[in-house]
Amino acid sequence: MHTGGHILDSFNDSLTEFKSTTLMMGSAALRNLDNSIRGLIERDKTLCNQAIAADDDEDLLELEVDRQGMAIMLKYRPVASDLRLVIATMKISSNFESASDLAVSIAKRSRKIIKGQEIPRVTAIEPLYELVSTMLKNAVTAYSDLDLNQAIALINQEEEVHKMHKKISRKFSREVENECPEYREYLNILFICRWLERIGELAIDIAEEVVFAASSEDIRHSDDIPSSVLEAAANQTNQA
Amino acid sequence: MVTPSTIDKLFNMDTLVKEPAAKATISDTPSTTPKTMDQHTQPSSAASTPSATETKPVIEIDNVSFSYDNGKTNTLRDISLDIAPKQVTAFIGPSGCGKSTLLRCLNRMNDLVETSMISHGEIRIMGQDIHAKDVSAIELRKQVGMVFQKYNPFPKSIYDNVAYGLRIQGIKNKSKLDEAVEKSLRGAALWDEVKDRLKTSALGLSGGQQQRLCIARTIAVQPKVILMDEPCSALDPIATAKVEQLIMDLRQDFTIVIVTHSMQQASRVSDRTAFFYLGELIEYDETNKIFTNPAEQRTEAYISGRFG
Repeated sequence: MHTGGHILDSFNDSLTEFKSTTLMMGSAALRNLDNSIRGLIERDKTLCNQAIAADDDEDLLELEVDRQGMAIMLKYRPVASDLRLVIATMKISSNFESASDLAVSIAKRSRKIIKGQEIPRVTAIEPLYELVSTMLKNAVTAYSDLDLNQAIALINQEEEVHKMHKKISRKFSREVENECPEYREYLNILFICRWLERIGELAIDIAEEVVFAASSEDIRHSDDIPSSVLEAAANQTNQA
Repeated sequence: MVTPSTIDKLFNMDTLVKEPAAKATISDTPSTTPKTMDQHTQPSSAASTPSATETKPVIEIDNVSFSYDNGKTNTLRDISLDIAPKQVTAFIGPSGCGKSTLLRCLNRMNDLVETSMISHGEIRIMGQDIHAKDVSAIELRKQVGMVFQKYNPFPKSIYDNVAYGLRIQGIKNKSKLDEAVEKSLRGAALWDEVKDRLKTSALGLSGGQQQRLCIARTIAVQPKVILMDEPCSALDPIATAKVEQLIMDLRQDFTIVIVTHSMQQASRVSDRTAFFYLGELIEYDETNKIFTNPAEQRTEAYISGRFG
C-alpha cells in the first residue's frame, strides 16, 4: 500500500502551503518579540518601530491561514490526522497572532520607557525574556514537526514561567516601592513582564494544540498529561 | 505533444460539415468569430469573471429548451450558459434535474431517442450550431468525446481500444498508431500499469483502470471537449482520487464538462459549477463562490443537504 502524500497533488500542496503560512507567522512573532525587547534594552526606537509595523503583516497572515483552512475543509473533507492538523493549525495561528500583538504592546511601552530616564536595572528582564523567547521558538518547532516530546516539555514549563515572572516582577516593584527617581519607567516594565508571561502561556497553548494534532487527545484545562499521550511521545522517540 | 498539422486536420471546422463547403451554413475557419455570438449570457445574478469574457467560449448554450416527447413537455427549459476553453465545468443538481440530459445534448447522444428534440434555442460548439442540417453527428462526437458512468471498454485488447478511433479515421501506419496509443495511455495515467500487456484484453483490468482506459480511448482522437457523466460513481475512493487527479491534469489540454453527484468532487476539480433544478439552470458561477456563498437560496439548500 502506498503511504505518503495524498493521491491528489492539490491536497498535498494546499496542506503544505497552509502549514508554511502558519510557520511564517511563528517566526514573525519571534522576530517582533526579539525586536521589541532589544529595543528596550538597547534603547533603540527603530527596533520598537519595526516590531509595531510588522504586526500588520501578521494580521493579514492570520486571515490568510483561516481562509486556506476553510478551503481545505470544504474541498477535501479531511479526516483523522488531516482534520486535527487543520483545526489545530487554525488555533495555533491565532495564538501566534496574539503573541505578535503582545510584542507590539511591549514595543509601544518600550518606546515610552526609552523616552524617559535611563534605567540601570532594565537588564534584569533578560532571563524572563530568554525563557519565554525559547519557549515560543520551541512551540514553533513542536508544531513544525508535530513533536510530542517537545510539546510535553513546554507544557511542563508552566510553573517555571510563573515563578520567573514573579521573581523578576518583584525586582522591579521593589524599585517602585523605594520611590526611586525612575519609578515611572519601572511601573511600565512591570506591564512588559506581565506580557512576557502571557507569551509564555501562549507557547503552552500552542503545545496543547500540537498534542491534539499528534495524538488526538484534547488536554486543555486538565491537570495531568494522560498516559496515552506519554506513550505516544515515547513511540515518537523510538521511531526517530 | 500534438503537432500543429494534426491539430489542423482534426480541428478544421469543415470536417464537421458533411456536404462540401459551398452548402455549409458556416464556412468560416474556427478562428473567425461568428456574428451571432454573445460574449456572455448568464441567468444568475452573480457577475461573471472578466477573464472569461475575453476568451471566446467553446460551448454556447443559447436559451435552449429540450423535450423527450416531441415537444409536449420540456425536460430542459431556457438554459443559457457559456463554457470557456480549457476549464472544468461541473453540472450538479438532484436526480431528474436535467443535468445528464443537457450533457448528452452537447454531443447529440439524445439523437438516439427518436422523439427527442430541441424545442427552441441553439447549442453552438466553437461557433457552429451543432444541430444544423449539414452537421454530421459522427464528426461532432469526434470533437466532443464522452466518458460514461459505467466504464465500457470494447471487448478487445488494451491497444486496440485506444487505437480504434484512430484506425477508423484511416490511420494505418503502425509506428504512428504505437506513438498515439502510448501518448494517450500516458495522458490517462495508465501507461506504466499496462505497457507490458497492451495486447491483453481490456476486460482484465480493474474498474479504475478500465475507466482510465476509456479516458485514454477518448483523448486518442484529440477531441476539443470531453464530457464526463459521473465518471467516478462506479469506482472505489483510491480509483476516484486517481481519476480526479487525471481530470486536473487533462484540463491543460481539453475543455471538460462533468456531471457529478458529489459536491466535494465538484468543489475539488471544477473551475465553474452550474446548479440545475427541475430542468432549469438556477445558478452558474465560480465553484468557490457556489460552495462558500451561493447567491440563490435553492443552491444553498441543495449543497448543504437540506433537500434533493
